[in-house]
Amino acid sequence: PAPLAQAFPLPSLPRKQPTVLVVCGPAQNGAIGLVCARHLRIFDYEPTIFYPKRSPDPLYRDFTTQCEKMDIPFLSYLPTEVQLINDAYNAVVDAVLGAEAELGEGRGPCAGILATLKHIRIPIVSLDVPSGWDVEAGSSSGISPDVLVSLTAPKQCARRFLGRQHFVAGRFVPYDMQKKFELNPPEYPGTECVVAL
Amino acid sequence: QQEAQAIDQELFTEYKFSVDQLMELAGLSCATAIAKAYPPSSFTRSQPTVLVVCGPGNNGGDGLVCARHLKMFGYQPAVYYPKRPNKPLFEGLTTQCQKMDIPFLAEFPAEAALIDELYGLVVDAIFGFSFTGAVREPFGSILSTLQRVTVPIASIDIPSGWDVEKGKADGLQPDMLISLTAPKKAAMHFAGRYHFLGGRFVPAALQEKYALNLPPYPGTDCVLQLT
Repeated sequence: PAPLAQAFPLPSLPRKQPTVLVVCGPAQNGAIGLVCARHLRIFDYEPTIFYPKRSPDPLYRDFTTQCEKMDIPFLSYLPTEVQLINDAYNAVVDAVLGAEAELGEGRGPCAGILATLKHIRIPIVSLDVPSGWDVEAGSSSGISPDVLVSLTAPKQCARRFLGRQHFVAGRFVPYDMQKKFELNPPEYPGTECVVAL
Repeated sequence: QQEAQAIDQELFTEYKFSVDQLMELAGLSCATAIAKAYPPSSFTRSQPTVLVVCGPGNNGGDGLVCARHLKMFGYQPAVYYPKRPNKPLFEGLTTQCQKMDIPFLAEFPAEAALIDELYGLVVDAIFGFSFTGAVREPFGSILSTLQRVTVPIASIDIPSGWDVEKGKADGLQPDMLISLTAPKKAAMHFAGRYHFLGGRFVPAALQEKYALNLPPYPGTDCVLQLT
């Protein structure tokens, strides 16, 4: 949520209410979206979650409970009428598919969601990998996020990212792992957990 | 004390937070507050060395998380952790620190003067808000030594050895207190320079239910400086 707050600080949002739509996929990327939504709520944004396929993983189920108990609404369906989304929210967090997704998933149940997201006009913040992109090659016809938050380290497809801001959130990686995998992260400012690339 | 325990209980049973989640956020708050009050550049010795003394319970766990984040923020923490619970949570946190080359001392420095010489700051993560009764060894002697230390001490949640509500006039007098979730009653007796609030995870509904009346945190910061 820190990158979202940096890229879209509360006072700068175009709509009166700081509404954000968080679209969560069925696996880990979606779970990260749930955690992000909860922190956005603490930061005084008004997140709404769309989480159509819920993971059975107990940890992720608890993340869902935490969000529900914090009065974060869960949509029962995603409007296909794109204008409705454009009108209701300031930004969309794309937490649908991450680096672990296989190419075929672009055709599965997420396909409908991704098709809608391709047409919205409000900014999209993608977590780790723009959903639907191949993690290495990127995608010429997929969604075009405004902001990308790479987790741990940028994936290869990040080279094809054309949006406004690219953040990396990987300050938790121990130094010896950074060296081992040649991550070469930039310096994180102060006590921040994200850095803009 | 009961209220603090009730809030914790609700966070775990109603909201389904895991101890890991909240401990990570708490420990991160502590490291962040320390970095704001005592930035590495402010240390008089050549390296920003910090001694983190971890007790046998959750306060000790908060200390382990704090040590790890301090390392990432550029400090050189060393941990003294004499009584380690046999639980995966604490074993995991210990391993994370060890794998990040944070040394675990085999013995507690025998004299306050030695601590003053080796470290620029001490983090007191011995006892937290669940503490009641008498202080068991080795922590009694540790606390006596800490009382004679002249470098600043930062206490996590409650200065160790204090009564959670009444404080302790002849006990530890830390320079910094990081209250987690909300300040405890004992905080009224805190006389040090820096009082921070950390643990920015309490949902608005819980804050209202317990009338916590917390001031707002700045922006996306996970700590708030109270004094």
